[in-house]
Amino acid sequence: MLIRRVATARDRQAFAALFKYFAPRVKAYLRRAGLEPGEAEEVAQEVLLSLWRKAESFDPARAAPATWVFAIARNARIDRARRNHGLPGAPEPEEAEDELAPSAETLTLTAEREARVRGALGQLAPEQQKIVKLSFFSDTPHAAIASELNLPLGTVKSRIRLALAKLRAALEEVR
Amino acid sequence: MIRHHPSAETLLAHAAGTLPAGQALVVAAHVQGCGACRAELARLEALGGAVLDELAPEPLAAEAFAAVLDRLDAPAPKPPAPPRQADLGLPAGLRLPAALHGAEIGRWLWVGPGIRYSRVRLPWAPNENVMLLRVGGSRRVIPHSHGGAEFTQVLHGGFTDSTGHYGPGDMAEADHDLAHQPAADPEGCICLAALEGGLRLPWRGWRTTRRHG
Ligand SMILES: [Zn+2]
Repeated sequence: MLIRRVATARDRQAFAALFKYFAPRVKAYLRRAGLEPGEAEEVAQEVLLSLWRKAESFDPARAAPATWVFAIARNARIDRARRNHGLPGAPEPEEAEDELAPSAETLTLTAEREARVRGALGQLAPEQQKIVKLSFFSDTPHAAIASELNLPLGTVKSRIRLALAKLRAALEEVR
Repeated sequence: MIRHHPSAETLLAHAAGTLPAGQALVVAAHVQGCGACRAELARLEALGGAVLDELAPEPLAAEAFAAVLDRLDAPAPKPPAPPRQADLGLPAGLRLPAALHGAEIGRWLWVGPGIRYSRVRLPWAPNENVMLLRVGGSRRVIPHSHGGAEFTQVLHGGFTDSTGHYGPGDMAEADHDLAHQPAADPEGCICLAALEGGLRLPWRGWRTTRRHG
């Protein structure tokens, strides 16, 4: 488990492997989210640096590596937009367990959840897959979906809702 | 028992990181206290992970890895100083949601009979219109509508409007086209609210009436 090796042994070889896999995907995500190439490059490097620093907080029982990296990249994207306006970043989300309601899903294994979600995404119609993916990329996802799929803005919300309902149904099926 | 949750598309936007900061704060406060939404959010973030996995990789500059290696041993940036938070004299046993830890919280200010608000200022998004509201027992807020969406998380007590009753842990998501007249439960209501539309003060001129019966 590469992230564990980074956390426990500060293993630079493991980090190199993580960098090789994730950095180009994080950069692609940031480009899709509208960052200029130079900025995407910088933020992607920061995300991998965060991965090194936060490796200890990675909990394989809670998220798969890609899911954890996605969350770091998403937060870095938001923080960069704030810094561009001279604002500080938001503090790390606090995860003090005693302040959290137990998840309704504690018995599901992470790997199982990830496999289900991927299976469910694969079962969606192409347009619905696109809607879900576009929802993750843009700062103005509704406008982006409207223009990419040639839909009136007013229709987008109901299409997202429909795609999510389909996704949920597919999740039930693969159970 | 939590009955009102953020909508599916709001949770998706929260997972994607595309909600305005004020709304994201209210949703985070809800999710921390709601096991069903935590599980749903975990699934939506897994979806984000899947989307990240499937992206066509874009190579970084040749020197990128060496540049990051050079920075691995640099000290991590210091966390910001804890924000100023007024002592709100909350009812015994009521803790503010962990989502508010980084926010500045002002003292209670009088808005109208039975209604006080405390400004919640997010250092990372200072123009967001976020507040704690405290409405006295059985007070009714004069009908109002919204310039934009209004997200409200009940922390204590509860209220009722045309869409139903909201108790502790419930989150209300009101669109700009909803005109409503929330009435607090007999024990009153404390909630966290985010109003879309910058620093307008829509509660100015609110008045309250005693509920009959
Ligand atoms: Zn919920």
